[in-house]
Amino acid sequence: MAFAPMGPEASFFAVLDQHRASLLAALRRGGGEPTGGGTRLASSSEVLASIESVIQGIISSVARNEAPAFTIENRSSWENIKFEDSVGLQMVSHCTTRKIKSDSPKSVKNFALILKILSMIYKLVQSNTYATKRDIYYTDSQLFGNQTVVDNIINDISCMLKVPRMSLHILSTSKGLIAGNLRYMEEDGTRVHCTCGSTAVAVPSNIQGIRNLITDAKFLLIVEKDATFQRLLDDNFCNRMSPCIMVTGKGVPDLNTRLLVKKLWDTFHIPIFTLVDADPHGIEIMCIYKYGSMAMSFEAHNLTVPAIRWLGLLPSDIKRLNIPRDTLIPLTKRDQMKLDSVLKRPYVTCQPFWRKEMEIMADSKMKAEIQALTFLSSDYLSRVYLPNKLKFGGWI
Amino acid sequence: MERTAVAVCEILKYLIIHWKCETAGTSKGALLEGQIVISMEALNSKHQANTLHCVTTIASAGSIYGGLVLKKFLKEIQSILPGFSAKLNWTSEEASCSQDISGVTPFQMIFEVDEKPRTLMTDTLVIKNFLHKIVMVHPKIKFNFSVKVNGVLSMEIFGTKNEPTLNLSNGIALVISYQHYVRPKVGTAELLCSRIHPVLGHPVMLFIPDDMAGMGLLGELILTPAAALCPCPKIFSNQLNRISSVSIFLYGPSGLPLILPSQEQPTTTVFKDTSYFIDWKKYHLCMVPDLDLNLDRDLVLPDVSYQVESSEGDQSQNMDSQGQTLLLFLFVDFHSGFPVQQTELWRVHTLLTTHLSAILTESHNVVQDSVQVAVDQALEQHHHATKDHQKLQASLSVAVNSIISIVTGSTSSSFRKICLQALQAADTREFGTKLHKSFHEITQHRFLPYCSCEMKQQLLPEKNAEQSTEDAHEDSSLELLAGTSGQVENKRLKRGSLRQGRKETRAFHPARSPRQSEAAACRTKPTDASLTPCGSRASPGGGLEDSLWQQEVSNLSEWLSPGPEP
Repeated sequence: MAFAPMGPEASFFAVLDQHRASLLAALRRGGGEPTGGGTRLASSSEVLASIESVIQGIISSVARNEAPAFTIENRSSWENIKFEDSVGLQMVSHCTTRKIKSDSPKSVKNFALILKILSMIYKLVQSNTYATKRDIYYTDSQLFGNQTVVDNIINDISCMLKVPRMSLHILSTSKGLIAGNLRYMEEDGTRVHCTCGSTAVAVPSNIQGIRNLITDAKFLLIVEKDATFQRLLDDNFCNRMSPCIMVTGKGVPDLNTRLLVKKLWDTFHIPIFTLVDADPHGIEIMCIYKYGSMAMSFEAHNLTVPAIRWLGLLPSDIKRLNIPRDTLIPLTKRDQMKLDSVLKRPYVTCQPFWRKEMEIMADSKMKAEIQALTFLSSDYLSRVYLPNKLKFGGWI
Repeated sequence: MERTAVAVCEILKYLIIHWKCETAGTSKGALLEGQIVISMEALNSKHQANTLHCVTTIASAGSIYGGLVLKKFLKEIQSILPGFSAKLNWTSEEASCSQDISGVTPFQMIFEVDEKPRTLMTDTLVIKNFLHKIVMVHPKIKFNFSVKVNGVLSMEIFGTKNEPTLNLSNGIALVISYQHYVRPKVGTAELLCSRIHPVLGHPVMLFIPDDMAGMGLLGELILTPAAALCPCPKIFSNQLNRISSVSIFLYGPSGLPLILPSQEQPTTTVFKDTSYFIDWKKYHLCMVPDLDLNLDRDLVLPDVSYQVESSEGDQSQNMDSQGQTLLLFLFVDFHSGFPVQQTELWRVHTLLTTHLSAILTESHNVVQDSVQVAVDQALEQHHHATKDHQKLQASLSVAVNSIISIVTGSTSSSFRKICLQALQAADTREFGTKLHKSFHEITQHRFLPYCSCEMKQQLLPEKNAEQSTEDAHEDSSLELLAGTSGQVENKRLKRGSLRQGRKETRAFHPARSPRQSEAAACRTKPTDASLTPCGSRASPGGGLEDSLWQQEVSNLSEWLSPGPEP
């Protein structure tokens, strides 16, 4: 093997190997990966042709003396989203739409901004250059107003043209980190060797372009918070649990981090676990990785990994491990609302164990951060909690 | 100011005051309703060369002038017109019933004056303007005014009966059809809102200067300003994005004009300082008095007029295009704890017509506050409309430039060809020009900020004229301070009625504009017995209004149910 074996004995991973086998069997039963719906990678010429088609439609409207308008699918409407166990949250085939009119005082500015960004995308694709969303915003920050406007329009364009953002030559800035047993080559030929040491590698901006991925990892651990990720790095977790991969999105994951996790799953089909705080926010972050988000539901097939399992921190762990009550935090009103919202989501119904954990949290009205485990011992997380969970199948 | 015009105007003022006082007991606050016929017959004088002997008759149908005492009338009129003399005739009821309604009337006043022809011409214009001003606040009064010079008859009717109005206090209602105040230039964008939307300022009590305190007024003078932009700023046109002039109208108690045009004007001295009551600098406007007030036009002539000299710091406005006119109405009323007597009201009027400047100067601060608030609110509408227009223009510019960028940057010849052909452009430069123009034309009419008065009018079924008249006067009151006061009234006015009731004017001069020629077709043959008025011209309605209405209805859900921002 390319990697020096520093981790536990092979028997340590017995349960993990069984889990992987069951995942693969489930995949085979399901007929492999679901065929990509919604967006698909498009070539430059296809993207240019799509944009030209849109412009042609606008000019035809103008020639007929009709005020042109964009028809945009309502991405952020629950009525347009369905849940499939194998995919997660995705847009329905016949969505409700809204019109962005050029002759309405409410929408004329948005109409103009969509065209502005379309023209910028057109130039990027034509010249085979890339820009981040932030770059787009700063081309005329006064015109756009704020970054959120740009982000939403880019997503709307992606949804309208039915191509992923990558095909629009717009990159999102990655904030995620990777560590562990993984090597790959980036599009420009750069070889990346993620280490098991105390440093991590930034998630690349061009996930679609990375190739030659190599790993022996037995599992991929998604860590919610950067603080926990760094702590595990400092505790040499990757080496002690080698071979493994760790990823963090530093909170709500950006698109590239989600794309990377998806790519690692599609390529290696290794078990993927999440380590999140035992609070509604952590659970929601975990759901984003597993089932996707409403905003990006039109790209669900490229982003979701329904095979993800919840490793910790489980609300039931709090009682089981006798974590001191004074380390717990009462749920705020906002937490309560978020917990209620997550409990109502369609995917929770097919996760009875998750539901049960959330109900435990709701009943106790308390939440806990992963750092609560340090009250048991400073390295309890990396030396006891995680190894036991991984060895004995403590995931749901 | 020559004698005939002054005499007619003062007599009319007296009569209306008398009328008001007579009806105050029975229907307080109700609008005066009736018809007054004024006829002037001039023949070459047998005694003086180049002089016309003019006999003026003022007559009224109905018995509104019961109680008018000639001696008292003459005494009070002579206080203004020394040496004035007139004959007063009353006809019997039986005699009046045998005629048509405009025939022999129960009340008739006749006086005679010798005048030069040119003077008479000026007088008729002055009288016409005065009548026009009266009907602007007394929409139920109709004047038949005829002038016969050496056998040649010219007749006009002044009335605003079916026009939308804003009810004010004390039995007057301001007509809010814009066409009385401004005539848009030919070629300006079609205006869908034909009203002005006055904003009322808070009423303020005027202070009497010490040297006038002994005049023994047993009451208070209350000034209420009203400001409006004309045409309606809510309906935006490219050419109406700047203030170009200000017109000030002064009305006294009983809704009577305080000023007669062409008169020596110590009364309006206070307005010579354009900033005395209004701070124009905050709007980047520089106002200068406009002394060019042409009597000979069918618009209501303002008492004071300002022109915008330049807009400070804004060079981008198109100074050649017609801008908007800020209309400012100052209504001075007299309030007393006791029923106001005619004599007192007449005295108040005389005081105001001679000492208005002094009174307003004495009350400078309170008048300024009230007027400024009304003007601020009226101009705020303009400000919003201008901002909306600027946003629209900016957005459309971004949209068009983005499209041009894609078309000109495309390497697909078929795509470029299709785009150019669609707009029938020979090259990308022409394509850009045409695209700009087309977008502008498409959105100019469609991008119409919601003007509720017009929308409600267009949505409602047509009604007959009588019902429209009633509807025109309901609902609004002095207490409505918002610029939306126009929305409240005339909720059920039928769509075409805005063009009804337009006063048909026929110039005194033989030469006419085409529009006036059209009106002249209604001129009647001169007879003494039957001054048959021409009816109001019906609204043309027309295909443009229908198609625009359809467009508005199709957008109705958007206007009435604001959706989430996209």
